[in-house]
Amino acid sequence: MSSTTKTPVFFALIFFFCLGSSSLFSKTLKIGYSDWPGWVAWEIGIQKDWFDEEGVDVEFLWFDYVASMDAYVAGQVDAVCMTNGDALVTGATGKPSVGIIVNDYSNGNDMVVAKPGIDTVKGLEGMKVGVEEGFVCHLLLLKALEENGMSAEDVTIVNTPTDETAQVLASGDVDAIAAWQPNSGQALKTVEGSKPIFTSADAPGIIYDLLCVSSESLEANKEDWEKVVKVWYRIVDYLMDENNIDDALKILSARVSLEPAEYEPFFKGTKILTLEEALGFWEEGKGLDSVYGSTEIVDEFNVKFEVYGEPLDTDKYLDPSFTLNYAESLE
Amino acid sequence: MHIRKDLSPGKQSLLTTGSFLIPLFLWTIVSYAPFIWHPDIKLQVSADRSGVTTVFTAGDRVSKEFFPTFSEAIRVENQAIMEAREQNKPIIGSRRDNLKKLRHLAPLAVANGWLEVKEQQNDEKLYGVWKGLAEGSLKSTEVELTEENIEVIRSNWRLLSAYAPTYDSKRYPTEAMLKLIPQGVSSNPVYLPAPHEVIQAGWRDFTTKPDNDMPTMWERYRHSLTIIFWGFTYSCLLGIPLAILCGSLDFFSKLHEPFIDFFRYMPAPTFSVLFVAFLGTSDAPKIMLVFVGTFFQLVLVIANTTRLLEKSLLEAAQTLGANRRQLLKRVIVPGILPNLYNDLRILLGWSWTWLVIAELIGEKTGLTGFIDTQGTRYNFDRVFPVIILIGFTGFFTDRFFHGLRDLLFPWTEEAQTGAKGPITRFILRMSNHSSYADRTKA
Repeated sequence: MSSTTKTPVFFALIFFFCLGSSSLFSKTLKIGYSDWPGWVAWEIGIQKDWFDEEGVDVEFLWFDYVASMDAYVAGQVDAVCMTNGDALVTGATGKPSVGIIVNDYSNGNDMVVAKPGIDTVKGLEGMKVGVEEGFVCHLLLLKALEENGMSAEDVTIVNTPTDETAQVLASGDVDAIAAWQPNSGQALKTVEGSKPIFTSADAPGIIYDLLCVSSESLEANKEDWEKVVKVWYRIVDYLMDENNIDDALKILSARVSLEPAEYEPFFKGTKILTLEEALGFWEEGKGLDSVYGSTEIVDEFNVKFEVYGEPLDTDKYLDPSFTLNYAESLE
Repeated sequence: MHIRKDLSPGKQSLLTTGSFLIPLFLWTIVSYAPFIWHPDIKLQVSADRSGVTTVFTAGDRVSKEFFPTFSEAIRVENQAIMEAREQNKPIIGSRRDNLKKLRHLAPLAVANGWLEVKEQQNDEKLYGVWKGLAEGSLKSTEVELTEENIEVIRSNWRLLSAYAPTYDSKRYPTEAMLKLIPQGVSSNPVYLPAPHEVIQAGWRDFTTKPDNDMPTMWERYRHSLTIIFWGFTYSCLLGIPLAILCGSLDFFSKLHEPFIDFFRYMPAPTFSVLFVAFLGTSDAPKIMLVFVGTFFQLVLVIANTTRLLEKSLLEAAQTLGANRRQLLKRVIVPGILPNLYNDLRILLGWSWTWLVIAELIGEKTGLTGFIDTQGTRYNFDRVFPVIILIGFTGFFTDRFFHGLRDLLFPWTEEAQTGAKGPITRFILRMSNHSSYADRTKA
């Protein structure tokens, strides 16, 4: 009798052991990335084998944005691509991280898109807005309301996964959505006559996009992360050369299943930073033109709107040394 | 038509075919009868509006109300270009703007077979297409160009050929060229593509290798099948022994079933975040979800099947002196096997339902990953072939196991009375030893 009851337990143990063991011994750096144009850019380095050329073993895992942060909190990836604001939210509620690369700032690709008939943020009063609660576009929406003398109570938030916002707006269940490209573009395309009533270009500097690494991995694999930084600036240089634009568009658009022509306008809404520009934004300051200033302002904002309770030590979330070291190595 | 009377096998298969043809017929009617529905325009030639980030490409659909606004916006832009030119102050744009304007003819060139699908950015070949259309040596038969657009093509070609009569990437005008005016054909909304569009999209997806080393459709298919296989296999390996124990011994039934009954009401997908946390993001959490989704049902269903075994069989065996182990091995297991088999067939169908949820956990993979991405981008012509593939896979595996049942359990009532296919009949005949015996006797 006893042998038969133990059998299922035995199988279960084998089952979990087999599954778990594969990930225990590898030293590959795992990076979660998602559909924001600034992070899709990593695809160029991946497709061109530049990580191999630098001699760094990385594996990029493609997720939905929120799923990528969940995977990071669960310790399934060593680093994840997040906005500075979401790095704070993820840190306050799950697991802190250190931003080592500023990929870009959002320059219009994050949008509040309203259905036909609503032309201004003020028109949202009493309306339903579909947005992923607690994350970057929620921040953008709150900012839009604040700038128009309104508060969070003036709209009803409908918690919506960002990749479904286009469908939700088309269904008519909400009056507006907040999302980033390519999801916001899909919404504009699907719902004819809808328009962006507020974009990140109206609030420059509140959304910086970073590569955020867990401090354990950063300590253990410092040299490897330095190589990742090197590959990033190789990607940036490549993108800045106008002759590469068609080749780049082909790689980038395929990653998110769009046509190259549809992807091209995204370059304008996501300002990818050259090394020099990035160094400028890394300088400490109080304003939105510094990553430090921006992150602090977003922190205050998050506390004010009760995304989390206590203000965070925002400086710990940022480490410019990798970018600075790379810049020095060029001199 | 008699109530509750079986039809002849011939009629049955005729009706089976019919049951598939009726929806197909309705779909065809709605798609190809132009007076039914067709509220949209499917673009054959598109254009970019300046200052608008929303880009429509050929193949996209816009509503018939919106289409005039769209094409009018382009006409207004062209008007401005023409007026500036007449005043001898031509608008200067960028080389790339002009390049993009020329590329709007690429889908039409592909439709006519002048370009390969992968050559849509081959500017040199496109140059030739513009030249041919302007000079009249090429004529688009697949898409009939409007007079207006032929004018645009001629006007642009005059500008282009003045710079360089043959393609030269360095000699390209920066003076703004005219934009092609959008044109298209009447169509149904994007979520109801016509049969030929679905077939074309399916053919393309299943025969071409996607960019960026993303998995091919067949790799995705195999991936999905692997997840189902392992999830279901683990479920069976752990579930069937437990269920038989529960069904035969009240001790185990009372020890396990109440909890299992409680657990099965907790929707498996709610555990997905938990699974990702301890099993990672690739296949393991997906297999686990299929497992959790089927295991608890399986135990309860099969335990019940076990309990339904006729008590008289057990009693007879006990009278003959069978002990507990022998009862289990010789009576219960063989006795429930045919019904257990049927239960598993139904549960395998269940596991497909869970697969569709499981593949979206962590990294999106397999067929569902594809459906999800393409659905988000409104490429429903690419979604339908995959859904149909899943349907056929389920249908044919079930047919297969159904046929196999008659071979595995020839003594059951269904096997003896039910209609059999030609393959089953053949195998049964070959394996029927009594027929040989009869022959030797005769």
